[in-house]
Amino acid sequence: MSAILEVRDLHTQFNTLDGVVRAVDGVSFDVARGETLGIVGESGCGKSVTALSILRLIPPETGRIAQGSIRFEGNELTALSEEAMKSLRGHRISMIFQEPMTSLNPVLTVGTQIAENVVRHMGVPWSAARERAREMLDLVRIADAKRRLDEYPHQLSGGMRQRVMIAMALSCDPQVLIADEPTTALDVTIQAQILDLMIELKEKTGTAIVLITHDLGVVAETTERVVVMYAGRKVEEAPVEALFENPLHPYTRGLMRAIPRLDVEADAAGTRPRLQEIPGLVPILTRPIVGCAFAARCELATDRCRATPPPFVDAGGGHIVACWEVKL
Amino acid sequence: MAVITDDLAPSAGRQFSLATAIRRNPTIAFGGILLALLIVMAVFAPLIATHDPFKLSPVNRLRPPSERWWFGTDQFGRDVFSRTIYGARVSLIVGLSVALISSALGLALGLACGYFKRVDGIVMRIMDGLMAIPSILLAIALITLARPGLGIVIVAIIVPEVPRVVRVVRAVVLSIRGQPYIESAIAGGTKNLKLLLRHVLPNTLAPLIVQSTYVCASAMLIEASLSFLGAGVPLEVPSWGNIISQGKTFFQIAPWTILIPGAFLAVTVLAVNLLGDGLRDRLDPRLARRL
Amino acid sequence: MTAYIVRRLFATLPVMAVVALFVFFLLRLAPGDPAAIIAGDDATSEAIAAVRAKLGLDRPLVEQFVVWLWALLQGDMGVSIFSNLPVTRLMAQRVEPTIALTLSTLFVAVSLAIPIGVVAAWKARKLVDRLVMGFAVLGFAMPVFVLAYVLIYFFAVQWQLLPVQGYQPLSAGLWPFAESLILPSVALGVTYMALIARITRASMLEVLQQDYIRTANAKGLATDRVLLLHALKNASVPIVTVIGIGIALLISGVVITETVFNIPGLGRLTVDAVLKRDYPIVQGLILVFAAAKVIVNLVIDISYAFLDPRIRY
Repeated sequence: MSAILEVRDLHTQFNTLDGVVRAVDGVSFDVARGETLGIVGESGCGKSVTALSILRLIPPETGRIAQGSIRFEGNELTALSEEAMKSLRGHRISMIFQEPMTSLNPVLTVGTQIAENVVRHMGVPWSAARERAREMLDLVRIADAKRRLDEYPHQLSGGMRQRVMIAMALSCDPQVLIADEPTTALDVTIQAQILDLMIELKEKTGTAIVLITHDLGVVAETTERVVVMYAGRKVEEAPVEALFENPLHPYTRGLMRAIPRLDVEADAAGTRPRLQEIPGLVPILTRPIVGCAFAARCELATDRCRATPPPFVDAGGGHIVACWEVKL
Repeated sequence: MAVITDDLAPSAGRQFSLATAIRRNPTIAFGGILLALLIVMAVFAPLIATHDPFKLSPVNRLRPPSERWWFGTDQFGRDVFSRTIYGARVSLIVGLSVALISSALGLALGLACGYFKRVDGIVMRIMDGLMAIPSILLAIALITLARPGLGIVIVAIIVPEVPRVVRVVRAVVLSIRGQPYIESAIAGGTKNLKLLLRHVLPNTLAPLIVQSTYVCASAMLIEASLSFLGAGVPLEVPSWGNIISQGKTFFQIAPWTILIPGAFLAVTVLAVNLLGDGLRDRLDPRLARRL
Repeated sequence: MTAYIVRRLFATLPVMAVVALFVFFLLRLAPGDPAAIIAGDDATSEAIAAVRAKLGLDRPLVEQFVVWLWALLQGDMGVSIFSNLPVTRLMAQRVEPTIALTLSTLFVAVSLAIPIGVVAAWKARKLVDRLVMGFAVLGFAMPVFVLAYVLIYFFAVQWQLLPVQGYQPLSAGLWPFAESLILPSVALGVTYMALIARITRASMLEVLQQDYIRTANAKGLATDRVLLLHALKNASVPIVTVIGIGIALLISGVVITETVFNIPGLGRLTVDAVLKRDYPIVQGLILVFAAAKVIVNLVIDISYAFLDPRIRY
C-alpha cells in the first residue's frame, strides 16, 4: 500500500498570553490509500490540531505550523500557495467536524451548502451541482432528498445534519476524509449508524479516512490502524488488533483499563473490577517537555524517562512504541 | 480555542501602579485623563480665562487668533478662548446631571418594569412611544413650552434619554430573573424588595454605568445642538453651541468662532465615549462582544 | 407571512397612540398658560386670547382631545398660528428636500459602512481595522454641525468645489440636485456610518469564530464567498437593527443639517416653527417623524424573517 498522505515531524504552535503552546510536538504518520486510520488520545492531546494542520486551517492570528512536512500525493502542503490549498480543501481532502449542530450554516439551505462545494471544485453549473447534491443526500440515506435540499439545518435532526456533513465532504470524491470526532455529539444509537455509513461509503468510493476520536470503542469498530497521541506527541502506533491485544505503552494500557467491559466476570459479590483512571493531569504545554511526556503520570517512570525522550521501538508487524520501559 | 484574557493571567505579586493601570486599560485611562483635564478647565475657568468672556469690544471684532486673543474674537469683539473655557461648564453640567438623573430614574423604572409585570406593560408602552420621537425633536418640543434656561434644557434632554436606560436595566433584570439562584431565593421565601436590592441591583450596575456614560455624551451633543438651533440655554450664556450659533453668520471670514468650540465639543464627547467603551470592555464583556 | 405583517402593523398602533397622546397633552398640561407661552413674552392679552380661541384651549380638555383626534384621523393637523395655512400643506411643500437628503445619506452611509465593517473584521487587529475603528470612534464624537462647517470651510470656501449652502430640486437638473446634496449627506452620514461600520465589524467578528465558517473554509470556498455570503448573512440581523435605530439619529441630524446648509425641508420647518412657537406645526412634525421611524422599524422587523430562516412568524 502506498501512502497518500505523509506527515513528518509536525510541530504546530499557538501564541497565548501564557507563552507558546506546543499543541503538536513532532508527530509523524502515514495514511495509505483507502485505509482507515484512527488517531486517539484525551482531549487537548493535539489530535484536532493535527487535523486542522493538514488542511492548513490553523487560525493565522494565533497559531502556525512551526516545523515539519505534510505531503499529499507527493506534494508538500506546507509550501503550497493559499490558492492552491483552497482548491485542495473540500475537493481532494475534506473534513467533517464534531458539532453537526453548529458546523452547518444556519441561514443557507442544505442544498446550497452541498452544491457550492461541487460548483467550486468541479466547475459545473448550479443546476448540475444541485443534482449532485440530491444524489449525495440519497447516498447518505436521507429520505425525500429533493425536499430536504431546500430545507435549513435547523429543520434537521442531529444525525441528519451529520449525514449532510458527510454528503458535503464526499461530494467531490476526495482522496482523504478527515473526521474529527464525528459521532461524539450524537446519541449512541445514531453514532453506530453514522460510523457504519462512513465505512460503507469508504468501501464504495475508496476514500481514505482519518478518524479522530477519544473513544477506543469507535476505534476498535472502524479503524484498521491506530495512532495514539499524548501531549502533542505520538506514543504508539499499531494495527488495530495488535493494539487491543497487546497495548505496549503505559498510556495506551491506561486508556484500555478505563474502558468499561462486559466480558469480565463479576465476582461472587456481584461487583466487577473498578474502572481505573489514569492518575494526574496532562502536562502544561507552554513549557518544553524534557524526556517522556507521560513520565509525570507513569507508574514505571525512571530518571531516564524524565531526562531523555524515548525513541520508537519496533515491536514488529507495524507496531511501534515510544517507551524506555517497554519489554519486548 | 480558548483565548486567555488578561484577567485570568496570574497576577500574584503584581503591585498596583498607575503605569500598569494605564497599560491594562489604555482606553479608560485616556478618556478619563482627558475628561479630568476638561473638568479642571471648567472648574478653574475664571483663573484660566485671559479675558472677561462677556466683555464686548466692538473695536476688536472678528480678530483672528493672535498672541493677545489666542482663539481670536467674535463679531462683538469677545475673546473666543475665554468663552470656550467657560463653555465647558455648560456642557459638563448638562452632561453629568443628565447622566445622573436619567440613570437614577431609568434604574428605578427599569427595576420596576423587570420585576412587576403590571408596571411593565404600561411603562414600556410609554417608553416605546417616547423612543419613537427623535430625541432632538422631543427636547425641542419640551423647551418650546417653558421659558429658556439651563434647568428646562436639562429636563428636556432627560425625557428622551430615560427610555434608553430603562431598556438596558429591564433587559438585565429579565435575564437575571431566570437564573437558578434567583429562583431558589424566591423558593426560599426571600422578600421581593430584599431580592431586588441584594441580587438584582448589583448585576445592573455595570451595564448602568456603561449606559450612563453614553447618555452623558449624547446629552452634551443634544445640548450643543439645541443651543446651535437657538432653542437651548439663553443666548447670553457662553455655551459651545451658542458660540457656534453666533459665529455662523461670519463663518466665512471668521471660521475660528465655530471650529474651535466645535473641536472642544468633539474632544469632550470623544473623552466620554472612550471612557464608556473602556468601561464596557472592562465591566461587561458580554455586551462588549456584541458591540 | 401576511398574518405576521398585519400583526406587526397592529403592534405599531399603541406606539403611535402614545405619541399622539403625548403630543396632545404636552401643550395642555404644561405649567403656566400655554396660550401665553405660544403668544410670546411681550404679547398683549388680546393676542393671548386670540391664540387660546384658535387652538380651542378654552374648551373642556376631553372635547379638545376628541375634536383634535377626529381631525387628525382625517389627516387634518390643524392650522399654523402665524401663516394660517394648513399644517399638512406646509409640510407637503417642504417634504421633497428632506426625503432626498435622508435617502441619499442612507444610501451612501449603508453602502460604504457595511463593506468597511466587513473588511475591518476580516483584517481584525491589523492596520486597516485600527484605521476603521479610529474613524468610527471619531465619527461618533463629531457633532453634525461642527463637521458640516468643517466640510463647508474646505470644500466650499477654500477649494470652491461645491456650493456653500442651498438646495436645488430634482427639477433643476440631476447634477445641481446631486451637487447640493453631497456635503449635507456627508455631514449627516458620518455618525451614522460610524455606527453601522462598528456594529458590522462586531457582528462579523462574532460570526467569523463560528464553526460553520470553519466548515466553509474547509470546503476551500473563495474568501469573498465566505465573507459576503456565509458570514455577512449571519451577521445581518444586528446590522439591520442598527440601521433602524440610526434612523432616529438621521432624523435628529436632518433638523441640524438643513439649518446649516439652508435647505428648505421639514427640519428647517421644525426649527422655524419652534423659534416662532408655532405649536400646531411642531405637533404635526413630531407625529410625522415618529410615524416615519415606526414605519422604518416595522420594515426592519419584517426583513428579519427574510434574513434568518430560524425566525418564525
